[in-house]
Formats: sequence, structure tokens, C-alpha cells
Amino acid sequence: MLSQSEKLSKLEEKKRILALPELERPRTVRLKFRKVGSLQYISHLDLQRTFMRVLTRACLPVWYTKGFNPHAKLVFSTPLSVGAQSEYEFLDLRIDREMSTEEIMKRLNRELTEELQITEAYLPKSDFSEIAWATYEIEICTEHASEALAEQMTKVLTTAPLLLTKRTKAGEKEIDIVPLIHEIKIRFNENDATIGISATLSATTGEFLNPEMLITALKRECSIMSGDPMKEWYTILRTSVMKADFTRFR
Amino acid sequence: MNKNVSNILKAVSKPGRYSGGEYGQIIKDKSKVKARFAFCFPDTYEIGMSNLGVRILYGVLNREEDVWCERVYDPWLDMQEKMREHHLPLCACESGDPLSEFDMIGFTLQYEMSYTNVLNMLDLAGLPLRQSERDDSMPIVIGGGPCAYNPEPVADFFDLFNIGEGEEMLPELCRLYIQMKEEGRYTKAEYLHEAARSIEGIYVPSLYQVSYNEDGTIKEYTPIYDDIPTTIHKRIIKDMDTAYFPEKVVMPYIETVHDRVMLEVFRGCIRGCRFCQAGMIYRPVREKSPEVLNEQAKCLFEATGYDEISLTSLSISDYTQLEELCNLLLEWTDENMVSLSLPSLRVDSFTKELMDKIATVRSSSLTFAPEAGTQRLRDVINKNVLEEDLLRAVKVAFEAGKNTVKLYFMSGLPTETLDDIAGIAELASHVIDAYYQTPNRNRAKKPQVTISVSCFIPKPFTPFQWEAQDTFDQLAEKQEYLGSKITDKKIRYTHHDAKVSRIEAVLARGDRRLAPALELACKEGFCFDSWDECFDYDRWISVLERTGIDPAFYANRVWGLDEVLPWDIIDCGVSKEFLRKERDRAYAEATTPNCREKCSGCGANKMGGERTCCPKAKN
Repeated sequence: MLSQSEKLSKLEEKKRILALPELERPRTVRLKFRKVGSLQYISHLDLQRTFMRVLTRACLPVWYTKGFNPHAKLVFSTPLSVGAQSEYEFLDLRIDREMSTEEIMKRLNRELTEELQITEAYLPKSDFSEIAWATYEIEICTEHASEALAEQMTKVLTTAPLLLTKRTKAGEKEIDIVPLIHEIKIRFNENDATIGISATLSATTGEFLNPEMLITALKRECSIMSGDPMKEWYTILRTSVMKADFTRFR
Repeated sequence: MNKNVSNILKAVSKPGRYSGGEYGQIIKDKSKVKARFAFCFPDTYEIGMSNLGVRILYGVLNREEDVWCERVYDPWLDMQEKMREHHLPLCACESGDPLSEFDMIGFTLQYEMSYTNVLNMLDLAGLPLRQSERDDSMPIVIGGGPCAYNPEPVADFFDLFNIGEGEEMLPELCRLYIQMKEEGRYTKAEYLHEAARSIEGIYVPSLYQVSYNEDGTIKEYTPIYDDIPTTIHKRIIKDMDTAYFPEKVVMPYIETVHDRVMLEVFRGCIRGCRFCQAGMIYRPVREKSPEVLNEQAKCLFEATGYDEISLTSLSISDYTQLEELCNLLLEWTDENMVSLSLPSLRVDSFTKELMDKIATVRSSSLTFAPEAGTQRLRDVINKNVLEEDLLRAVKVAFEAGKNTVKLYFMSGLPTETLDDIAGIAELASHVIDAYYQTPNRNRAKKPQVTISVSCFIPKPFTPFQWEAQDTFDQLAEKQEYLGSKITDKKIRYTHHDAKVSRIEAVLARGDRRLAPALELACKEGFCFDSWDECFDYDRWISVLERTGIDPAFYANRVWGLDEVLPWDIIDCGVSKEFLRKERDRAYAEATTPNCREKCSGCGANKMGGERTCCPKAKN
């Protein structure tokens, strides 16, 4: 089907799609996507704007809100802060004409770079509110990284209370982050002298723990990464999100 | 992205300015290209990414298989600080390689106040500022854009300038470079000489000596070789329908100033406002045909997914086939949720039909530029707009439910009196009156008129190029006087900083003797001088003083009509004689018909051009 349509210009293609019968109800399609590399510096708002254009370029039969200022409805899952990468992001969009999820994914990826790719497209059976946990891989490069430092870090992040200031819409408040950490493994990688952290953190709307908070705590408690950012740095990668029962969210 | 750069991005504002990786960027294999070109925009990423000229030239250069053109912007202050702290040189977006590794560096000079950014970027790249201090191993530094029509203030920092439209010139420069390298006869000196001799439109300042009279004015320009031109003629693209058109656009992830399709409808302007440099240097008018534009608009929409198409040109309503074009576009834009915007509308052509076309999916804001408050002064500047045109235009807008209008004016124009200033306030209140005289207005809302007043700056290649700018005190007095004349709360009044305008005037008419001042400014960390938060007038005056420059000599002096001007070495197509005649007509308060009504013999038609309005144009 796609090979046939490749002869048409995108505008003709869009016309053909819009000529299909309208679905009885708009259909929600879930996209799982990766946001890595230079895309880690792109904010949520900018990502939203980018997706609007990508949907247009991909000629998807996006459902638009009715009313004075029609717009596509995009719903993103768990927030990801600027400076963090992810292999596990979700976006729900609605379409109002027939198009297979395979084709949707194929069309979108043609309009995206390798650092922002759709890895799955399907009809969802769950709700974003079911997301309870997110897992992260954090890599820290710091001077004096050692087995002992890894142990000290483990102690810091597992000993309650570990009080940190959290900025919320209502203002600042002190929270203990230890209960929000389900699991944490910290190891020293001898070959490149870095510290690796695997963490499962709370990701519910009310008690979302930003992995940056772990870095803040470690900076304060272990006096790391206070020096030259050319030699001392860290990366954060979200590797999955899970439901309350620790099964992968889909 | 450069790994070292990545490490500091967590500590700067808007890191998306520096992270690169945009959809549509062009990546080539370094080992297979023969010339690497760094296209620099001397301002922030958000401004530079919006520039249509850069989009075109990026595409033109990358069309050459063995040339790789990359983009570079000036990092914001916090990023600069980090870069200097960690000894990171300025790098190009695509490869992340430092500028010093490139064969050529091109700067587009869009406004005078960006000159400090040019030097700032060279400095961040670790390159010597003066061209004489850069050796054969360093990149050739090229300038172009509107400010290259008087490149003299920055002449000592550049190896060469492109005068006119760069679509053909830049590839020619690359080809010559590659050829000389391959033949093993490349030296910087040989290359510059060869470029000046063989490529039309190339100005190599170091090949011309300037001497001065005792009173400080210029005596003469002397070429140091016999085989280079004594006057550099600007280049134009004759046929806009077949001119190179970029089918792909680098798509910014972060919000930029013009996040929309920019469809270039025509070049040049038929009007000839006497203060306007763009109206002269881009002559002759050359249009694209509606069918070509429609195809290009479709192509850009498909390549970008933007939801707005802006029809760009100096004065869009002067396009002869605007209605045809709008109709063609509307055949597909509406159903694809794309809106049209028409900046630079003239009041005399603003009609209900036009308004209906642009107010489709979303509403566009309305701005008009009467430029002067009285008919007398509008005649002096040849604006050719009547008060009744303006009032008719705003009534159309009000009838369509709009209640806000923005009006642009200029103060300090030649022959201006306080009556003309008071006329601005009167005109604004007549617009308010027009609102209440419109029966079908939006009765739920109050009218709002914003008047924005800039300061007149005498610019090269305009009939007012010899005029004096008002002194700072005069400008301030006029601004205050206008403020006192506005009593209605429905009129909002804003004005440009007269201090910035004064420095701009110095740079606009400057000569090579300004180089030490700009050099000192760079040494003292000047940059982003077009940004309010960075511009510091007192520091500028101090820099000028310490380098022995009297700003009044450049800004506030009436230049002699027989004086050798710093930009006389350049031929922009319009003759000096025409500019002089226009100046005389200004003082006689006589208007000059636009190019379509009657040819006034500016001289630009000698350049030829397709779909132009010059009657004598030869092709």
C-alpha cells in the first residue's frame, strides 16, 4: 500500500486519506518512542511542537478538536527533564481515518532523526495513570571514583530520611526521597573508572521522583562533581516504566 | 554534538540552542569534501535559524557535492562564559568541529549592531581578528548581506565581501578555492587576487588603499593591482523562477523567531522611500510567478509541516499577482489547517478581500507603517501614503472585528519639525475616531492603537545618505514632546532607544578608521549590542573616545555632495546621480512615482532581470 502511495505527493496523499470514511469515534494510538542524544536538551514544550509538525509531515489522519481553534490532542506520559535521555517514552494521539499502526510508525520514522524514533505503535489497553515506577541507568564520571565511593553512595541513597527540597507548583517542600526509591544498585566500573547506578524510582503523578534528585543528593552527601565539567559529568537514561505490580507498562 | 560541549549544556539556559541534531541538517563525509564552509549568523540561534537568506545559501553550497556547509550561531553570554572557562572553541552545529578547521567562514551582515558579534565569534573561534594576521593555514573570512554594501567599518577583519545576491557567487568562490588547492597554487594572497580579478561582485578590501583629506574626509581609493575592478558591481539573480530554491529546511526543535514557511515572492521594491536602504540596494524588482510560488509553497509545507506560510518581500501588496497567488494557495492551505500571513502590508492596498484571505484559520495581527505624522513629511520621504488610505484600511480591519492596530513611525527625518511630531499623535487619535465611526465594529472591545517610533538613521545608498542624524538631545526632546501630546489611554506609545540609533548611524556610514574601535570593543567583551540587556552607550562612547573617533563626524554631520563616500567603491545598481536628484526632490517636498507608474531612471535596469517592472531592462 505504501509503495503505491509513494508516487503521490504528500498533499495528494493527505487528500486520499481524508477521502476515506471517517471513523465512528476517534481512535487512540499509542506511540512508544526513544529520545536520546542531542534530543535530551529539548524541553517537553518544544517536543510537543515538534511532534505537531512531524504528524503533519507524515500525513497522518490526525483528529482535530472541534471549535474555534482546532488542534490535535497529544497526550504524553511521565515527564522527562531536560538533560535526561529515554528509551521508553509514550505519546497517545487520536486519528479519525483508518490507518494501520505499522503504517503510522513507518510514516513517522521517515520524518524523524535517529535520536527521536518511534519504537512501537499499537492500540492501548491501559491508561497512563497506571504508571507507578520508572527505571533509570545513571552513569557518573567523577574524580576519585572507587569501590568505596560506590558503597558510600549506596548507603546515602538507602538510609532514611534523606531530605531534599522539591519544587512543586505550590512552592518548595522538604521530602524524604528514600521511600520513593524501590530498588537501587550502584557499582564501580573499573575499566572506565565510572560509577553506574541502576534505579527504580516512583513515577506516580503525586510522588514522582526526578532522577536528578539522586544526583543532587549525591553531590551534597558525597561531595562529588564539584569540579571541571570536562572531567566530571553524568548521564541519565530512562530504560522502562512499570505498573504498580512491576510488570512493564504498555 | 561535540562531547565536550554536551558536558556543559546542563549548566546553561536554553541548551537546545547548542545541541544540534535537527531534522533536515546536512551531514557529509569529511574525508570526501574538498571545501568546508562555516556559515555564521552573528546572533542567537533563534534569530539565525529564521533567516531566509541563510536557508537559501546553506542549500546552494551543499548542492556542491564536494563542499560541506555547516551552520554557526553566536552562543549566548552564559554559554560563552562556560566555553571560555573550559577553553572550548566555537564549533559548527553539524559536525561539532571548531571553526579554525574550516576552509571558509562566511558571515551574513544583516544589521550594523551585529558587528561586535562577528568579532566575538572570530575571537571565540580562536582566530586573529584582523585579516592581515591570519595566515595561509587559516580559513578565508567572507562577508555578505545588506551591510556589505558599506563594509568599510569591518573591512580590516574580512578577507573578502560578496556584493549582492550570493547564490552564484558563493559556489564560484568555493570552486576557485578547490581548483587552486588541487593545482597546488593556493596561497591566501593569490586566492584573494584571483577572486577579485575573476569573480564579479567580489570586493577584497586589502587590495585597495584609502587616503584621506586633512578635514578627515576620504580622498581616494586606489587599487593595488591594475587588473582588479575600480568599482565593484553588485550581483543579482536575474530570473527568480529558475533561481535556486531550497526544498529542504533544517527544522529547529526549539522555538525560533519565524517558525513558519517563508515564501519569497519577489526581490526589490517599487516604492523608493527615501530613507530606506533595502528599497534601493535590492533593485531591480524581480517577481516569481504565482504557479512557481504555489509549487514551492507546497514543497516547503510538505518538507516542514509548518502551519503558517508567510509571504515575504519588502512590500507584499505590491506583488502584481497577489490575488492569483492567494487563490492558488487557498485551494489547499485551508483544508490542511495552514494559515497565510502577509507582513509588510501597505495601507493603500489593504482591502476587505485581502483581509478575508489572510484571516483564515487564525487571525493575524495588523501593522501599518505610515512612517511620518504629516502629509508634508510623508511627501519628503516619498512614502506616498495618504491619511485617508490609512483610515480606510483600519476601518476594514475594525469591521472585521479587529480592535488593535500597530503603527510604525520614524522621528528625526530630514526637515522634520515639532508639527510633524504632533502629527503622529493626531494620526493615532484619528485611528481611534475611525474605530467609533465603524458601525459594524466589535462593540464589546475598546480600540487600542500602538505607535512605535524609531529614529532616522542615514544609510548608504539612499537619497538621505548625506543627511545628518539628529543629535541625541534632539531625538530625546522629540520623543518627550510626542509623549506629552498623547493623552488618550487607548494609545500606547513606544520608541526606540536613541542611543542605539546613534551608534548604528556611526557604523552605517563608517569607514576603515573604525576598525580599532571595533577591535577594542571586542577586547572589552562587547557582543549582542542589538539586545537591550547588552547594549551600553557609555561604554561605546568610551571605546570611540579612546580610539580617537568622533561619533558626530559620522552620525551628525551633513556630508558634502561631492565628498568621496566610503561606499563609492561599490555600485549597487542605483546611480549616485539618481540619489542626488531624489534628495533634491525631498527638499522640494515632491514625490516620485513608483517604478510601476513611471520609470524614474534610477539605473538599476542596466542589470536586467525577468518579470521586472523596469521598462528599459535588457536581458
